[in-house]
Amino acid sequence: MSYFKTVGGNAWALGKGLWITLRHMFSPAITVQYPHEKLNLSDRFRGALAFHPDICISCDMCVRACPSLCISLESKRNEETKRKDLQWYKIDFAKCNYCRLCEEICPTKPKSVHHTREYELSFTNRKEFLQEWRPEAPQPQGSDVGQIWNRFVTVGQKLGPNPKTNGSSTPSAPAAS
Amino acid sequence: MVQGPWAVTGPWAPNQTPEGLRRRYVRSILVLGVLLGGLLGLSVLIGEPSVLFGKAFAFLTAQAARHGVPAWALTAVSLVVPCSIVLGLIQVLPIFMVWWEMKIAAHIQVRLGPMQVGKWHGVLQTIADGIKLLLKEDIVPTGADRIIHFLAPIVVVAPAYICFAPIPFGMGGLAAVQMDVGLLFVLGISGLTVIGLLMAGWSSNNKYSVLGGLRAAAQMVSYEIPRLIALLPVVMWGGTLSLGGLMDAQQGLWRGVLPRWFIFYPVVGQISFLIFLISSIAETNRTPFDIAEAESELTSGFHTEYSGMKWAMFFLAEYAYMFLAAALGAVLFFGGGWAPWPALNFIPSFVWFFAKTFFIVFLFIWIRWSYPRLRVDRLMEFCWKFLLPWSLVNVALAGFLILMRQ
Repeated sequence: MSYFKTVGGNAWALGKGLWITLRHMFSPAITVQYPHEKLNLSDRFRGALAFHPDICISCDMCVRACPSLCISLESKRNEETKRKDLQWYKIDFAKCNYCRLCEEICPTKPKSVHHTREYELSFTNRKEFLQEWRPEAPQPQGSDVGQIWNRFVTVGQKLGPNPKTNGSSTPSAPAAS
Repeated sequence: MVQGPWAVTGPWAPNQTPEGLRRRYVRSILVLGVLLGGLLGLSVLIGEPSVLFGKAFAFLTAQAARHGVPAWALTAVSLVVPCSIVLGLIQVLPIFMVWWEMKIAAHIQVRLGPMQVGKWHGVLQTIADGIKLLLKEDIVPTGADRIIHFLAPIVVVAPAYICFAPIPFGMGGLAAVQMDVGLLFVLGISGLTVIGLLMAGWSSNNKYSVLGGLRAAAQMVSYEIPRLIALLPVVMWGGTLSLGGLMDAQQGLWRGVLPRWFIFYPVVGQISFLIFLISSIAETNRTPFDIAEAESELTSGFHTEYSGMKWAMFFLAEYAYMFLAAALGAVLFFGGGWAPWPALNFIPSFVWFFAKTFFIVFLFIWIRWSYPRLRVDRLMEFCWKFLLPWSLVNVALAGFLILMRQ
């Protein structure tokens, strides 16, 4: 008798397994078809860094704040305005660890160095990781990768405004400060 | 729209809401309905293929008589044409079945599966895969027995094709060859594949391949016995070994309601079908019983050392055998080309045959993606200590029922 009980119990368990897989077959798939569909980014998502040479006051704060030493800049004192003029500004994306310390420390308003919502940044060789900005040409210089990067940035902006940060795709400052 | 880290943006986003989901379900049901309805309408327009072929053959005979073509040429044509149609069918069907399996597996795992190739749900994925396999390098491992290594895929695939000769694809003798011992022929020839698997395992000069080949041989030889004995009650009721004859034995209704298919015979039919299904899955080396190619234990078993088109031959044989087992199940247990009720007779018989066959193929795939693999000793135990005694009990029960009816 216990034999039949075992057989029946096992058959019941197998049938239950089949029922579960059948039920899952008709439930909607959770796949997000990535290039066509994209997940919403979190509010404080830290994407690739962007830099605005026209706002920057060359204070060196971000260079000192950066824990991985990926930012470097050079400035020259302007005798007429008694201010420092930016010569070049470099971010090594191979070193950047996306910590937002540079953006937090940046004293200008709006921030001259900030994270974008761009996460599709890609480079084809090591030299291209080093992106350079100059005041006369506000886009990254050095190679045609700069243009590729710009294309990515526009794609990132196509993700649309973040509904929770009032339409600005780059949160200006953390909520705590 | 749902907000938060997991919400989807883009033109597909409305699908995530309940209304969007409902719309998607309705749309997919409509699309499937239109597709299946179109196919059905087309098949009704075509009508019975056996009638068509009869007309074509009569026309050919008349033309031959007018132009003085010798009779042997006509006989050759009447032999070659049906055989090539069946051959072509078997080569094309795995393409569809692999895609179907990928989609069902994906949806069981709440994924989508192939979606890109061929625009609509990745319909051309397997064709792309086939082209890739054809273009791949053919690698023969060093120290391999080159001749046997080359012959093994052929020995595996050839019986798989030959087995389809007596399968009736519909009513009116829609088979490549009319054979009185069709069932015996199919079961006998399909047993030859074991030799190919052993050859593949032995010639590869790889320990995993040898183990896989030996496991495959042990498993397939063992499971052939309950499979054969499970089909005995069908033969006992039908009183013939010809597949067409067994199909015709299932014509008609019981009390005007239940079709006289063998699966509806009390107790005997269900036990037979279950044992047949289980041992067919084992025969095709599919997942609950795939110890012969167990990826996690033997990398790929007997076809570890095969690549490109030779590897695809093993795959082709597996799917051909799956279709063969499903076709046997449809013919022997689900009445083959017979409609369940006479009111549905306007749908031609080959549609019924394929519908039933693909239902059993779906069972195969469903079982494969539901259960984990058995251990080697448990697999043998299950065959010899459970399936074999019960198939013998089943034969006794069938004999008893036949005795009672007389």
